[in-house]
Amino acid sequence: MGNETTHEQLKQSIIDQDENAVLEAVNKALADGMDPREVIDKGLLPGLNVIGEQFESEDIFLPELMQAALAFQSAMSVLEPAIKAAGGADEKKGTIVIGTVKGDLHSIGKNILKLLFETSGFEVHDLGIDVDLFKFIDKAGEVNADIIAISALLTTTLIGQRDVIDALKDQGTRDKYKVIVGGGATTQEWADTIGADGWSGSAYDAVVLVTKLVS
Amino acid sequence: MIDLIEVFDRAEVGPLISETDYYMKRYVPKLAEVIARHKVKWDKETIINTDDDLTDRVFQAAVDLLAEAGAYCPETNRVMQFTRDEILLACSQAPRSATFGEDRERKTMYGRRPDTTGDRPWVHVGGGIYTSDEQIFMDTVEKMASFNIVDSVSVPSILHLRGKDSRVRSPQEILAACKTVRLAREGIRRSGRAGLPIINGISAASQPASMFAATYPDFGLRPSDGFLIDFLSEMVVGYEALQKVAFYNSISANIGSTSTPLFGGYAGGAEGVAVTATCYMIMGNLIFRGTYHYNAPLHSKLHLSSTKPLIWAIAMSNAAIGRNMGYPMVNLPYLGGGSGTKQYHYEMACYMLAIVTSGGNVFSGHPAMAVQSDSLVPDDHKFHAEMGLAAAKLTRAEAEPIAQKIFPLFGDKLKDPDKGMTFQQVYDAKTKRIVNSEYQKAMDDVRSDLAGMGFAVPVL
Repeated sequence: MGNETTHEQLKQSIIDQDENAVLEAVNKALADGMDPREVIDKGLLPGLNVIGEQFESEDIFLPELMQAALAFQSAMSVLEPAIKAAGGADEKKGTIVIGTVKGDLHSIGKNILKLLFETSGFEVHDLGIDVDLFKFIDKAGEVNADIIAISALLTTTLIGQRDVIDALKDQGTRDKYKVIVGGGATTQEWADTIGADGWSGSAYDAVVLVTKLVS
Repeated sequence: MIDLIEVFDRAEVGPLISETDYYMKRYVPKLAEVIARHKVKWDKETIINTDDDLTDRVFQAAVDLLAEAGAYCPETNRVMQFTRDEILLACSQAPRSATFGEDRERKTMYGRRPDTTGDRPWVHVGGGIYTSDEQIFMDTVEKMASFNIVDSVSVPSILHLRGKDSRVRSPQEILAACKTVRLAREGIRRSGRAGLPIINGISAASQPASMFAATYPDFGLRPSDGFLIDFLSEMVVGYEALQKVAFYNSISANIGSTSTPLFGGYAGGAEGVAVTATCYMIMGNLIFRGTYHYNAPLHSKLHLSSTKPLIWAIAMSNAAIGRNMGYPMVNLPYLGGGSGTKQYHYEMACYMLAIVTSGGNVFSGHPAMAVQSDSLVPDDHKFHAEMGLAAAKLTRAEAEPIAQKIFPLFGDKLKDPDKGMTFQQVYDAKTKRIVNSEYQKAMDDVRSDLAGMGFAVPVL
């Protein structure tokens, strides 16, 4: 079987959101001697690109996106050790710390973004909802993050985004990270007002934004 | 129906599960399963469903979803489980009416059935849009309350104290919540209708303490108003909500069980939103002891409710509950166009035709993507209430072809909606009369266009 056929099988298993099929295709590709990076770059990521496009065009929704992401994560649990065993280094596009600000219990938009970041090749550390501002900063320092992504749905919680940026300035670490904000109550004007590095009205655009910021 | 303490206990005794597992192993697969089991399908064209067999299958799917997936309590990490018999008993005992207001403004909202053309639905106007100034807040409330076709109002939000916005859960938020209610009551009193109810109690309050504080008699929210208690999407029943349930049931207040199923989120597409929205109405009565439901499905990316699949799903959920439960419902329309724009009015007309003919009461919408401070413009809401009352004279079958004619007038604009106007741009500051001719012309043009399409909306 040629490499192109294997690539197609890997891609299709992700598009089908079939975790078992993904693992079967990955194990077979490795057994056939394919480089684990090739498995990712020419098989799994093209499949995830299709999933992203289908999500954007509303052909699929969050459950299918999550299923594809879970299948991809299972594959990576096999591929990462294989890359290390072959003497390779982990090649992430960047590291992101993400969460919803203190006082805000909304999670769905943030969860969608987290999945799209993960499936786009970023390492993501999700702090969840109702996150204390210093948890953002401590985690970013701990994992040497490139990006801090802060979500807020409510008008009354927006101020928590500004607090994170102000605290970074106070600590003298503002320049270490790119800070992006989003969520139902946010606007580009708000992002500019608080000195954020970027804002996005949709999860898909946020991935484009972050890719630019880390490059 | 199982009693309230037993409902609270269900959050303490159900299976332990993480939130992610609840979604991926219970809610999402069960939702797909009940949609397939009951053959719930949207044809991608219809705006207003007229197939009653499909409507009843949506209701059965919603019952099955709650019985098989349960709700999730994040504080205890447990699934709140209810048997099918408990759910059906709650549906059979759900309130069919809710009475609001005081003295001569005391009136009753009824649960409506689809195609009820002989009644006068409840008319609710307003929304929790941010206002920048106390005078504009008062003028907005006074003007909305002064329209005699209005039965209840949602009041805007005014969060700032001494020029600064109050932070969530802060002591300032409690003061802002109390101030909001005092100003709103004064605005209503100035309209000459002191007993008129506020049924969005209240958008300035994000925490139970603020809501409870605003209920202190000196501040002015009353049990005969409506108090919103919301599910955190999807299927989440948090302790803050249950605290409000405990308090508002203890003072016998009207409770508006509130839900915002997200199109594109865990609920998926049109079918999932229709079933989940219907499920929330059942949960609103069973878990929150709601006296009415505040249904607000939303598009996860566009943050509005006027796409074709969403209007179909919202109308479907109203019809499903109207035919099988009779719980009174209002539906909050989040619209793309800005206040006063033709786009905004066309969206509202299409929405009203679908929802009011399907069993919902009349609720004016407000701008979503194009929202700005002070963009609650009262005459928009009067026009929209007039649309709702006109729609109540039609059946679903009569409304569907008209809705299909209206939809193309705004459907392509939803991703980049027309910007709107503010209160200050429309009214004279002293007389409160409309002085913006562009605003008046847009409304007149739309009224004329709608009449030409077979949907006459008389000025009331």
